[in-house]
Amino acid sequence: MHIQELISRLQHFWADRGCLIGLPYDLEKGAGTMNPLTFFGALGPKPWNVAYVEPSRRPNDGRYGENPFRVYKHLQMQVILKPSPAKVQELYIQSLEAMGVDLRQHDLRFEEDNWEAPTLGAWGVGWQVMLDGMEISQFTYFQQVGGMDCRPVAAEITYGIERICMFLTGIDNIFDLTWGEVKTDDGVFPVTYRQVRQREEYELSAYSFEHADLDLHWRMFEAFEREGWRLLKDFGHFLSGYEQALKMSHTFNVLDARGAVSTTERPGIIKRIRDLTCGCARAYVAHSEAEEQAVPAPVQGKEVRA
Amino acid sequence: MSDTHSLLLEIHCEEIPARFLAPLCGECADGIQAFLRDTLKVERPVERFYSPRKLAWRVLDLPLAQADQSETQVGPPQRMCLDANGQPTQTGLKFAEKWGVAFGQVRFEQPTGKKEPCAVVTLTRAGRPTLELLAEALPRIITGLHVPKAMRWGSSEFQFVRPIRNLLCRFGDQVVPFQLDGVVTGASTWGHRLFHLDHPEPVAVPRAEAYESALEAAGIVVGCPERRARLERQIHALAAQAGGRVVADEHLLDTLAEIVEIPTIVMGRFPDSFLTLPKEVLVTSLAEHQKAFCVENAAGELLPCFLTAANRPDDPSGFVQSGNEWVLRARLYDARFFFEEDRKQPLRDRLEKLKHLTFQRELGSYYDKTQRIAALCEAMASSLGLDGTDGRLVAQACKCDLVTLMVGEFPELQGIMGGEYLKREQAHDKVWRAVKEHYQPISADGPVPATDLGAILAIADKLDTVAGCFAVGLIPTGSKDPLALRRAGQGIVRILFERDWNLNPMRVAALALQGVGAKATSPAGATLEALEAFFRDRVAHQLEQAGYPGAVRRSALAAGWTDLVDLKARCEALSAFAEDPRFQSLAQSAKRIGNILKDEPIGGTLDVQALREPQERVLAGLLGDLEGDAERSSLLDNLAELAGPLEAFFAAVMVKCEDPVLRAARIALLRRLQGAFLRVADFSLWQ
Repeated sequence: MHIQELISRLQHFWADRGCLIGLPYDLEKGAGTMNPLTFFGALGPKPWNVAYVEPSRRPNDGRYGENPFRVYKHLQMQVILKPSPAKVQELYIQSLEAMGVDLRQHDLRFEEDNWEAPTLGAWGVGWQVMLDGMEISQFTYFQQVGGMDCRPVAAEITYGIERICMFLTGIDNIFDLTWGEVKTDDGVFPVTYRQVRQREEYELSAYSFEHADLDLHWRMFEAFEREGWRLLKDFGHFLSGYEQALKMSHTFNVLDARGAVSTTERPGIIKRIRDLTCGCARAYVAHSEAEEQAVPAPVQGKEVRA
Repeated sequence: MSDTHSLLLEIHCEEIPARFLAPLCGECADGIQAFLRDTLKVERPVERFYSPRKLAWRVLDLPLAQADQSETQVGPPQRMCLDANGQPTQTGLKFAEKWGVAFGQVRFEQPTGKKEPCAVVTLTRAGRPTLELLAEALPRIITGLHVPKAMRWGSSEFQFVRPIRNLLCRFGDQVVPFQLDGVVTGASTWGHRLFHLDHPEPVAVPRAEAYESALEAAGIVVGCPERRARLERQIHALAAQAGGRVVADEHLLDTLAEIVEIPTIVMGRFPDSFLTLPKEVLVTSLAEHQKAFCVENAAGELLPCFLTAANRPDDPSGFVQSGNEWVLRARLYDARFFFEEDRKQPLRDRLEKLKHLTFQRELGSYYDKTQRIAALCEAMASSLGLDGTDGRLVAQACKCDLVTLMVGEFPELQGIMGGEYLKREQAHDKVWRAVKEHYQPISADGPVPATDLGAILAIADKLDTVAGCFAVGLIPTGSKDPLALRRAGQGIVRILFERDWNLNPMRVAALALQGVGAKATSPAGATLEALEAFFRDRVAHQLEQAGYPGAVRRSALAAGWTDLVDLKARCEALSAFAEDPRFQSLAQSAKRIGNILKDEPIGGTLDVQALREPQERVLAGLLGDLEGDAERSSLLDNLAELAGPLEAFFAAVMVKCEDPVLRAARIALLRRLQGAFLRVADFSLWQ
């Protein structure tokens, strides 16, 4: 199984089950949840099903491309189903079958793992899904996002693409995974994760652990914050304001990887990010309530396959 | 048709967090039991079952209906209900109408508490069918459960621990009709997911009694104790098969029994090369990350294999084993990465870093704490006649592992990693051992530090925490002890007690307070007073733990507790002496002395010449032995010798006599005897 095949199988599966296929958001972020498709999509009463791949950056996990299991940037496949369907677990299990997992041969467990994203004012309850002892997905019923109760509740499923791919292929080193195949007139050339990503891992790890200008990052953090509040307060622009919050979050992660944030400072910094994201969430909800009439009616009465 | 039916209720959810299963199951069982008691007037045991997706209860042999209930209603006096001709008045008719009976059913009698005959009716209410009562009560009981971390799902406002997907509720051969959040009760449920791959239909449960067997046929062992027992059997068998024994972990076994529906143990292996990691790292990493047991040989060395649970009956393709092995390798690879990174820098070079690690907001950093512990270690070592320089050394090393990667990943390895890193840096045996064991005792029956230095360091660390927190007003009250100061205090006392160290905890506590110095926010006098009460309680608890009877503990404690060696000796002696035939008499006399002296002024010297009776002169003669520097045991012997003479004294002598000189001499004699008793115990507290 190649990375790109796994992604495409999952996208097809969820598209067939009535999900929009979204795109990654073009800003650095630590998790797929931060994509506005999830952050704003989980808010408000409108039905919303979406699936997309999101590259997620975690400067703290950078290992210079040397560790076979841990990387600065990994891929998440994110699915949001709002309201959460009654058969959501069954749907998820079918998606495993679509990836080629025959449950007759494997051990599947849902173990408690409650999720919290303090910078997003978000939390939920759910599980880590364990396949033969490995966590292959996170499964969460959102209870709050942006400091507001989720009504209805969205279910979020997050697949760790590289992990699942390693697991399905029995490959012990992330860099040995095959991304896909390039076919030319001269033949077929498999391309590995190493070829696509290892140098990037090296440079990004070096950047976050050694070369990042801390002073600059502190100044950027302040500047993004000012800019975000200016956009939100002066213009009521929650989308561009939210982008500034995402930049604050990544800047904070870079500072954190360098140990530049003390334990006592940390909660205060997180709160500054949360204040902005929650402000954007409130503005979004107020805005959509004002536009309530514009709710798109279901296109046709056709039922979604369950 | 039988005249009783059995009740079965099952709530089938998406996977319920393991930690909530037993409490929720228990609370609901109590609710059902209370309902049966109050409404059906029956006492029945409520059987409990739970598995990851199920909470279930069963009650056998319930009556089909409530017993009929009769109640008496009292109305107005007879004279108001009947007129002169004995005909019903308007009031009388109204009373009958109110209770829905014909006037003819109204009787006149004098109820207790009334001065005259009144109108009375007896109403009989037919008992309601149990089925109806259950249908009303069960949803109320379930929605009334205290659900920690309750959640909503879908578009509903309903809250529960996880989404409810099926309700099974039978009473005899009927379904108890109710619904929760749109889920309607039925007579079937769902088995294991594997089972339903081939059986799309739900599992019928024909009778309450057949619940376990119906589910087992569908791949679920629904009783948690049963699952635990089966897992335990397999663990021991597989460990033996691997040529070793399992590294016991009761808590892990409990957890495994709660996270699988069908109990199966899978054995896997990991590369031998990871055995170079400290045993504690492997055991912790396996348990925390993989919920797996380690296997050790007779010498306590780990074997390169592990045991974990799978939620299926078998491993037909070996995927479960190879999957777990794969994950474990990744985990151990990480652990080895931490271990090797940590070792690139000598442990003690991290001391400076502790300046940025807050211990307690008011008490400063771990670096500050380290300095205070060092001073305490030195002082304690010197008062115990040990070398103080090692004390300073271990104190400065003991917290350095808090900033290592490994302890960052596994906080429970604090101390252990410090010790292991020092050991590999060729530190002196007693140094690394002291650091490794200084968090002990970790539980009430866990081991205490085995080395002198480890014990000193353990006491100094805990005492600094306790005294420091008390000094800034963080004193445990009632059930609130968020910083676990009681546990720390208990640890101190237990170490002193088990090592027989003659170290006055209050003197060391005073030293610890000096160390806190200007950081203290409460006046030192008040803090010491609070510490004294705190440690006295800890000592009392320690005596209880040691198994001394209540009378021994109370009377021995009252005679002083800061010298723990002495206290322990006195408790031992008293426990033995309590069996002595002379003991009761002596205790009686001691109490009597206490009563006599209660109202007497303190002071006055004994004038032996003033004593007249032979019985009192004998007693005066014995004082020398009693007040000398005798060993504890001989002191008790001497006290025992006193039993006869004291009895004779009280038989012959009246203490509070007329002659003031004689009386004063007798009081003084008793005062001296009481002093001798109080060196051992306060017998007035002997009950």
